[in-house]
Amino acid sequence: MGVSDLAVADPFAQATVAVQDVSVRYRVPSTDAAERKRRVNPVVRAARTVLGNDPKVTVRALSGISFVAKSGEQIGLVGQNGSGKSTLLRIIAGLENPAKGRVLAESTPVLIGVNAALVPDLSGEENIRLGCLAMGLTPAQAEAAVPEVKELAGLGKSIYLPMKTYSSGMGARLRFAIATASNPHILLIDEALATGDAAFKERSEARMQGLRKSAGTVFLVSHAAQTIEESCTRAIWLNHGRLVLDGPAEDVALRYRKWAWAMAKDKPDEARTIIETAFAEREQTRVQVEEPRSSRLYTARHVRPPMTSRRRNQGDKT
Amino acid sequence: MTYEADVQQGAGTRPADLYAELFGKQASTLEVVSTGRLSQVGARPPVRTYLSQLWKRRHFLWAEARAKVTSGTRETLLGQAWLVLKPMLDGVAYYLIFGKVLGADMGIPNFLGYLVIGVFLFQFTTQCVTGGAKAIPSGRNLIRAFTFPRASLPISVVLRGVLNLVPTLAAMFVLLLVLPEQEHWTAAAALFPAVLGLQVVFVTGLSLLLARAAAAVPDLNQLIGVAMRFWLYGSAVFFSIDRFSNFPWIVGVMEANPMYMVLNAARDTLLYGVVPAMSTWIGLGAWSLGTLLIGFLVFWRAEESYGRV
Repeated sequence: MGVSDLAVADPFAQATVAVQDVSVRYRVPSTDAAERKRRVNPVVRAARTVLGNDPKVTVRALSGISFVAKSGEQIGLVGQNGSGKSTLLRIIAGLENPAKGRVLAESTPVLIGVNAALVPDLSGEENIRLGCLAMGLTPAQAEAAVPEVKELAGLGKSIYLPMKTYSSGMGARLRFAIATASNPHILLIDEALATGDAAFKERSEARMQGLRKSAGTVFLVSHAAQTIEESCTRAIWLNHGRLVLDGPAEDVALRYRKWAWAMAKDKPDEARTIIETAFAEREQTRVQVEEPRSSRLYTARHVRPPMTSRRRNQGDKT
Repeated sequence: MTYEADVQQGAGTRPADLYAELFGKQASTLEVVSTGRLSQVGARPPVRTYLSQLWKRRHFLWAEARAKVTSGTRETLLGQAWLVLKPMLDGVAYYLIFGKVLGADMGIPNFLGYLVIGVFLFQFTTQCVTGGAKAIPSGRNLIRAFTFPRASLPISVVLRGVLNLVPTLAAMFVLLLVLPEQEHWTAAAALFPAVLGLQVVFVTGLSLLLARAAAAVPDLNQLIGVAMRFWLYGSAVFFSIDRFSNFPWIVGVMEANPMYMVLNAARDTLLYGVVPAMSTWIGLGAWSLGTLLIGFLVFWRAEESYGRV
């Protein structure tokens, strides 16, 4: 893979995604006995017992995440299970809104999730059409995209069978193929490729590289640090919803690997040292959003519209 | 458009986390982006943009509704034939029970026609209301996979209802022609599509309204079944409104009920060959357009919240 030449920062790269101080919280029921014993209003406790509801706890899925992604970058997200990688992707895709902060993007990002089943009763072929229409393609465009998607998915005759009969790997292949049909500029991949076989991996990587070449940005979630190292130019390490490190893929993946190894070998002190060093060395990013300056502040007299119509325009604006 | 500048971590900047305070000399990069080129994702667009987005997804709406209608009968032996058979059998059941066994016409001329129109059209409303209330949870897979105006989901429920209504209406007309009672077919029957159109507009608004309400409070789904039963009896589906002539307030409430207006107008045009009164048209039009407007605005206002688990 030609990663080395991609790793050189392109000075003309433009920002495609800006994540500004994003925090996400969930209120979810918990069966934790400690939560139950917590001192609460006796009326609330009685109501809970009668209604059979579990006490709700706040989960901080993400806190204070900021970064800017540029065109031509393929960004890997690493971190242990439950560290907020998938939540971050959903937020970037705009499928969910953060409790705080905001995300700006150049075009609509397309997310390929693990559990996004389309319509299970329909055949793969019909799902391709439906998925394309859902992404906003016209019927003619969708019809034209079908053969290409079929070929990329490479499911053979299975494409005519109902999607509920597919294995998880087959479903993931189809979803990937559908999602790339609209040639998205910003593609978010949530471990969708982990279940694919070797042949599909090759094809999907070629497709992703093609998207990136056309000045797009790809986000990729993976537990395997190796995948990130091989195919990404930049990596972001998340831990318990916080950004630990954001930098070149090799460096981040290597540190993450060391940390994961220390965790696996039950050496929490070592793991903590690694994570704290990373925190300390991290360059914090602050994202500032500027409203574009109105070009109408002053207009030279010779290009000014006549007085009457200008007034009408101003009336429209307010 | 973007430039980077190192800024000092001064006292004025808010530390992003505890570690930032511990390692105070941490470098910080300032990235400036402009809203000229980037726009906020997942933000609720203004009404006009939202409407044009919806219009662009019309093909998706149509394809989704059609796929769902046929997938309901896909596992059966007779397949799509059930779409026509089911309402026919329903009609025959009403004919046998009310026409032959009970012999109850309650003094209504052409009672079976009266009953068939009431039951079939009310069934359409029930389908759209219960489906609309479940539109967000049952469309969660699509919501979490694609970005599209979420109002597509409750609207698609109504489209599905309309597609289901087509064979039902065919069965209804067959029954009206076959049943051994006299209808007065006049030019007034040509007004039936207008009545139906107003009903579709009305249930679309209701579906949007309930989709948001039930997404916020899922308990509503339990109540809708009960509410629909009250509504069924309040719309004079099985009996005539004359029954309550001693209780003027009940008559007043029923006459203000949009579903009663729909059924009454439909029966006027199809059974009795009468053009519905002007007051019915005005009342029904106000209900339909008002419900659609309120339902749409209410649904649109919470557009950003539907992706939440």
